[in-house]
Amino acid sequence: MNKMISDYELILRFIKGEQSCFEKLIHRHKNKVFAYISLYIRDQALAEDIFQDTFLKVIQSVKAGKYADNGKFISWVMRIAHNLIIDHFRRIKQMNTISNDNYESDLFNSKAFAEDNVEDNMIKRQIQKDIRNMISHLPDDQREVVILRHYAGLSFKEIADITDVSINTALGRMRYALINMRRIMVEKNISLTLN
Amino acid sequence: MKPMVLISTQFITLREIKVEEIDLIEDAWGINSEFCDVIDLLREIEPIPERCLTTNLISKIRKIV
Repeated sequence: MNKMISDYELILRFIKGEQSCFEKLIHRHKNKVFAYISLYIRDQALAEDIFQDTFLKVIQSVKAGKYADNGKFISWVMRIAHNLIIDHFRRIKQMNTISNDNYESDLFNSKAFAEDNVEDNMIKRQIQKDIRNMISHLPDDQREVVILRHYAGLSFKEIADITDVSINTALGRMRYALINMRRIMVEKNISLTLN
Repeated sequence: MKPMVLISTQFITLREIKVEEIDLIEDAWGINSEFCDVIDLLREIEPIPERCLTTNLISKIRKIV
């Protein structure tokens, strides 16, 4: 049986000099990390910068011996991404810049579009745009829980750890987020098929 | 009462219960069943990094390592 090498094993091998092991880790986790950052930050260029900075910071920390394995490498990486995002918003606040909504990201860099025809793509694009808008209309704390759970794939325990709240609070935020999104779905008539 | 025979119920072992992808706390709160319509919508988007972004990142890493 072909058993997948664990994240920790890859880190140990990277520390010992096997550079390709870190590249394997990037390929393994890049989609989750990118999804979290790009859904949180609508400015695509900035999201890409933070995505790269996250993995560069991970390397620095691993090399400095700051990673202690508890089987949760991805949630540790997400925490680093989370802190970089928070740092970014702090800097913006200091510069008195209010919103990042002026940027329109390329919302559709998705593998789902690769194989469909033009009409299907248009419909999918509209639905996906609606969903992105729906997520972006949520309050920050609710949006974060939705992204961490559904796009980064973290458990509620991990989300609670990263966001420094109790599990119950994280669950409550998720519940409010889903209620809000359902309300927006009804108001804006959003469904999996265009009406 | 009809006695239960060995083949009447399929028993599964603990190992066969797959819980890796399930958050038991979330499950206990019934979030997935209550909000399946919203969650199905959320699954419609799957942002992925462009290939060149990952390639650039890997070349940066190769330079610093």
